Amino acid sequence: MWLVRRQLDTRFERLDPEDDPDRDDRLIRELYQEFGGPLLRQVRQTTGNDLQWAEDVVQETLLRAWRNAAKLTWERGLLWAWLLTVSRRIVIDGRRRRGVRPREVEPPEADSIAVPDAADRTLAAIVVADALRGLSPDHREVIEQTYLRDRTVSEAAEILGIPPGTVKSRLYYALRALRGVLKERGVAN
Amino acid sequence: MLSDEVPESLHHDVAAYALGVLDPEDIQGFQLHLVSCERCRIELNEFGELPGLLNEVKSASQRVRP
Repeated sequence: MWLVRRQLDTRFERLDPEDDPDRDDRLIRELYQEFGGPLLRQVRQTTGNDLQWAEDVVQETLLRAWRNAAKLTWERGLLWAWLLTVSRRIVIDGRRRRGVRPREVEPPEADSIAVPDAADRTLAAIVVADALRGLSPDHREVIEQTYLRDRTVSEAAEILGIPPGTVKSRLYYALRALRGVLKERGVAN
Repeated sequence: MLSDEVPESLHHDVAAYALGVLDPEDIQGFQLHLVSCERCRIELNEFGELPGLLNEVKSASQRVRP
């Protein structure tokens, strides 16, 4: 924890590895403590609950973080986004290697965001599904065609037949709108 | 480059980055931008909990539509 925090706080200051031979061990252990659990929960969503695969992805992600430790000097939220980006990339690459396509291309449907079934009706799921349905069709569509279907921006752009730049801009306004609604309803901070 | 000279579209990448769906060739460029752009760092933090919240819907919809 201490080391991660120090890494995050001292943006341009680097510890000299010579000073502390245990530094690498501690850094990777602290990365695991701080991010291992949440990252595993995120990754399991994209590996179809394949736990072994998800654990491998988490390990590889944290290993890459450790290799890039000198550059990972941003605050916690930024490091988290970095880990998320890298882990999703590893999953997508792994899926390509295995020759598994995410899901067949389906035409975007306005109403394809499922209502959670009764057994899984957590409050958050209901509120988020409802918030998504309240977005404009364009906004809902880009969130669905990227994140919810595990596609990158350019993959979604191809499916939607619009330029990648348009996907990114729509996604930006979509997330702002979504966050605004979720904040209003007390689900997001 | 000062952040106010950056085209507005580059700031928009923050959303794709927050969700981890930015294409690999864009990631490094955006990370460089992030270092100098306060606005994007703030927005990245604000978007931080959206992936987790969207997963709630995602796992539900995957069960409903295998």
